[in-house]
Amino acid sequence: MKVITVTLNPALDREFIIEGFTVNAYHRIKGQNHMMMNPGGKGINVSMALAKLGVSSIAIGIIGGYTGRVLLTELNKVSPLISTSFVHIEEETRENIVIVDPVNHTMTSINSPGPRVDRKAVELLLKRYDIYLSRAEAVVISGSLPQGLTGEIYGKMAKKAKEKGRMVFFDMIDEYLTEALEICVPDVVKPDVRGSLTILGERLESLEDYVEAAANLVKRGCKLAVVSYEIKNDVVATQDGVWLISTEEKVDPENILGAGDAYVGAMVYKRLTEKNASMLEVARFGYAAALAKTRKLAKEMPEYEEISEALKSCRLERLR
Amino acid sequence: MVRDVTAVTQDETVENVVRIMATQFLSGIPVVTEDMRVIGFVSESDVIRAAIPGYFSLLQSTTFIPDMSQFLKMAAKLKDKPIREIMTHPPLVVNENASLAHVADLMIKHNVKILPVVDEHGRLLGVITRTNIVRAAMEGYL
Repeated sequence: MKVITVTLNPALDREFIIEGFTVNAYHRIKGQNHMMMNPGGKGINVSMALAKLGVSSIAIGIIGGYTGRVLLTELNKVSPLISTSFVHIEEETRENIVIVDPVNHTMTSINSPGPRVDRKAVELLLKRYDIYLSRAEAVVISGSLPQGLTGEIYGKMAKKAKEKGRMVFFDMIDEYLTEALEICVPDVVKPDVRGSLTILGERLESLEDYVEAAANLVKRGCKLAVVSYEIKNDVVATQDGVWLISTEEKVDPENILGAGDAYVGAMVYKRLTEKNASMLEVARFGYAAALAKTRKLAKEMPEYEEISEALKSCRLERLR
Repeated sequence: MVRDVTAVTQDETVENVVRIMATQFLSGIPVVTEDMRVIGFVSESDVIRAAIPGYFSLLQSTTFIPDMSQFLKMAAKLKDKPIREIMTHPPLVVNENASLAHVADLMIKHNVKILPVVDEHGRLLGVITRTNIVRAAMEGYL
């Protein structure tokens, strides 16, 4: 077990492929292969991406009720490289619904808030986390939080990991990131800017804003900051400079589900398997993994060969 | 086996362990060190045995129990105790490479429903249950 992935607000992902999807209309799903049910939540997705790359991980977090049990049963089927340890609560784990339309090239997502988590469940989780830290090399802390928790918990978990000399990866929205950074700075950060284009409270509009935001995260102490720019480009900052990674390849918006998690998983893989790889190489490999993921419609994580192939389509441009 | 590594440390309270077992429908839970080596195991039977006077096990029916208040008092006293006081130690464990026939044999001999699975260093990898064994037998793996 090399990596701990933390998913405090996991979800049972329900994915439906509906050609010509419109609102306020009756749709019939074509068949079983047009509807998928997968364990989800960013950390869990990262565990699945790592398993595809042959890296063992332990997925930890909080699940609840019947939906939580279904999620866990499905997750235990995914790969022998994924171990699990979730604290169980009574309130139901959320379900996230995604409707993919390959005709109109749209992806409609409906994400639920998740259950309310009490202090006792968090205490139990943190005790287990302490145990698992002894055997991990890296920790991925990502995704949304259930009701009742703030970004402070992410900061505390990162601090415990850093105190034991573990690498820490963050992938979360600005609200949690801002709070977590007050407590601990991770090694690698990939802010989730899908909902609001904001980093550390600063609004992102021009490319220069993205460059400044990424560079600021490195100034705060991160070794690598990756900020998604206009879906298929990324602004990457390291202690050596700032770059734009892009591709000329066409990326369909309906295929991006799970791409960010493939990105994080691949960065963790690169960091663990090639200790001498530069942070820029780590980011490039992550980008290629995300690109490889977008070549698939379903939330299926890419294999190493697919990532290597996608690397050939990555373009690198120095910005600062 | 099930690659669920849910475990507790030996200073965890009996109350918390029972809570984990109840919410996760577990009949037992491994007790581990800080580096995940399995040093004990707590089963439902361990908890029940600790909550009742020794002579109860000789009785065939609760009809013969004269006073339930004694059980309730002992259960209340038990909840804040550390799990190391009632866990089975050393625990019965199986190696990840053990044959299913060997695991089945151990379960029958020791009358247990669940066993921790460990690596060559004794570190927890998951658990194996009687249902896992029966299922494997039905699929022809035994």
